[in-house]
Amino acid sequence: MSTHITVDPITRIEGHLRIDVEVDGGVVKKAWSSGQMFRGIERILQGRDPREAWVFTQRFCGVCTTVHAITSVRAVENALHLEIPKNAQYIRNLIIAAHAMHDHIVHFYQLSALDWVDVVSALKADPAKTAALAASISDWPGNSQKQFEAVKDRLARFVAGGQLGIFTNGYWGHPAMKLAPEVNLLAVSHYLQALDYQRKVNQVVAILGGKTPNIQNLAVGGVANAINLDNEATLNMAKLYQVKDLLDSVKQFIEQVYFVDVCAIGAMYADWLKYGGGVTNYLSVPDLPLDGKGATFDFPGGTIFGGDLAKVTPIASFTDPYFQKNVSESIAHSWYEGDWQRHPYEEDTVPQYTKYDAEKKYSWIKSPRFDGHVMQVGPLAQVLVGFATGHEPTKRWAVKTLETAGKVAGVSLTPAVLHSTLGRHAARMIRTAVISELADQHWNLLAENIGKGDTTIFNEPVFPKGEQQGFGFHEAPRGTLSHWVVIEDGKIKNYQAVVPSTWNAGPRDSKDQPGPYEASLVGNPIADPERPLEVLRTVHSFDPCIACAIHTLDVEGNEIAKVRAL
Amino acid sequence: MPRTYVLGLGNTLMGDDGFGPAVVHEFEDTYEFDEGVEVVDLGTPGLDLTPWFADTPHIIIVDTVKAALPPGSMRLYEKDDVMKHAPLARVSPHDPGVKETLATLDFADRAPETVTVIGAVPGLVRMSLELTQPVQMAVPAAVNAIRTTLERFGHKVHLKADKASEEVVMSDFAQALSA
Repeated sequence: MSTHITVDPITRIEGHLRIDVEVDGGVVKKAWSSGQMFRGIERILQGRDPREAWVFTQRFCGVCTTVHAITSVRAVENALHLEIPKNAQYIRNLIIAAHAMHDHIVHFYQLSALDWVDVVSALKADPAKTAALAASISDWPGNSQKQFEAVKDRLARFVAGGQLGIFTNGYWGHPAMKLAPEVNLLAVSHYLQALDYQRKVNQVVAILGGKTPNIQNLAVGGVANAINLDNEATLNMAKLYQVKDLLDSVKQFIEQVYFVDVCAIGAMYADWLKYGGGVTNYLSVPDLPLDGKGATFDFPGGTIFGGDLAKVTPIASFTDPYFQKNVSESIAHSWYEGDWQRHPYEEDTVPQYTKYDAEKKYSWIKSPRFDGHVMQVGPLAQVLVGFATGHEPTKRWAVKTLETAGKVAGVSLTPAVLHSTLGRHAARMIRTAVISELADQHWNLLAENIGKGDTTIFNEPVFPKGEQQGFGFHEAPRGTLSHWVVIEDGKIKNYQAVVPSTWNAGPRDSKDQPGPYEASLVGNPIADPERPLEVLRTVHSFDPCIACAIHTLDVEGNEIAKVRAL
Repeated sequence: MPRTYVLGLGNTLMGDDGFGPAVVHEFEDTYEFDEGVEVVDLGTPGLDLTPWFADTPHIIIVDTVKAALPPGSMRLYEKDDVMKHAPLARVSPHDPGVKETLATLDFADRAPETVTVIGAVPGLVRMSLELTQPVQMAVPAAVNAIRTTLERFGHKVHLKADKASEEVVMSDFAQALSA
């Protein structure tokens, strides 16, 4: 007999995602992903000045502010065929890199590690053994026996006081929790240390963006950071070196802590390299442009179909028609009027809520498709495209990760294991390590360019009469983000954002093809239907953030996931 | 590092949800204050609240709150209220962030000494750049509550000589654009 489980909501941060799974014989047979809040916030942009669109779009989502700001200016610049100065590109790239590192560190330590780490088990750990274990895999200075003792004492006091605080909702003692007590203690200690690096990398965004989380330095045509190396009020030498120090410090944490934790935890859950693959069509766009118009990039982009790494179709530039022509969205199973599949320029969003019906309409999220195909987006897509196209730092970090985790697990791991729940975590860490190297490189590019005497930051946009269409994309922390704008006589006529979590969390389409969340859950084991930890593991591995995929109409604020097993 | 952060929470694109940002902008436009205070329109940061809360002695949050009261009604909460799951103290929809951040920092021994929530009950939370009238009318009281709370913590707060600004939400966008 099959059991139907509903988990609602599933995100630890804002947004409201409901997952339903049908379990038979301890295995998920079918799954449905549903966004429970209306999306359509782009309508607020109609009739506005395209130059200020980014100020509004960065308010779409409180977590992904900068990514919507940057994608918006890229879309408008695309419509105007406007090139931006190199300095502006490098400054934007540094903000992109810092935001991505921040987001990935927070995701791993604060939002998903607790799906794998049993905090209570850390009480049984021997701090001396923990320190010895840590020393065997990393040179990190924050791994002393004394530090582990302090964390263990603190945890013991918390548990003795009858309050688990932040850990209250964890699935402690769940049969699917498998780490040794020492590894759990190591992870809890790093969870606490990660807070400092979250702050440090955030400071980079604040220095370059003026403010954080809502940056103020963007402009269609460039940035607003006046550059004068000797002036205190502008971007100067002192500020540039402050940025460099912060980036270096975060890089060390990523390489000596985040990398090691993912390899160690991953190796001990090697089973999860078999589950959670789902959709193996991948989409990623190029990013970190090296010139003013987006013709050459530090990160490659492209598509992969059926997991075939031998065949990558590249997406090469900000104007690539392969991307522009092939994106569409379907509303076959979404609560909008009609049943169409349209290009973003042609979309029109008219909500029409009917009840939750898994056979008909069951989500506020639309289903984006690429040339009609379901695509998985996110760090895994980016890492696979990089790996397959021979992107040096991606390949180096991917090989290092597979070797290190394989050594701990005592098995040999190939890139094929990355099509999995744990593969998404590994890929996110690989991407973070690569970005921290590239951030250094872009800092050098900026410093060298300024050193040559170039202080240009802005090219004035000019809006011709008549209609222009433009699209901008960005490989955001959760994957491919694109904004699509139609401008008429200098005003916005239509605006659509096709966001990463929509690609991944969308429902079935008109051909009944399930979305990536839905496909990835099929085949997952469920040890205890009352506590479906495995569902959380797979969905969290995508880093869901649907605060922009949909928006806050529901004023419920109930953070505890409700689980119903019927 | 500032001794006190005044943080406006909420989405300025979603009608009354933008109460927090509107209030902190109005406060910045109206008052001058000492260097130990930093005012930030934080939007809806979820767990990204942590860097602001960690090791900061005093946190003042301005936000919409859920309570069985008419729109525009004001509520004041302290840290203990936020941590309790009392129905009146459900700070929404940013609740998950605030509560989880405090719990994380309690465990890390880096939580703020005090947390003050200055809240208003929203009327309409839907796509709009404007607050509804009852919530707009609560803005001056909330601005005043920030001032008195800061003074309680020993901060110096003075009215600006040329106090102005009617269109609070738009002035934020205008400021950002002209920055």
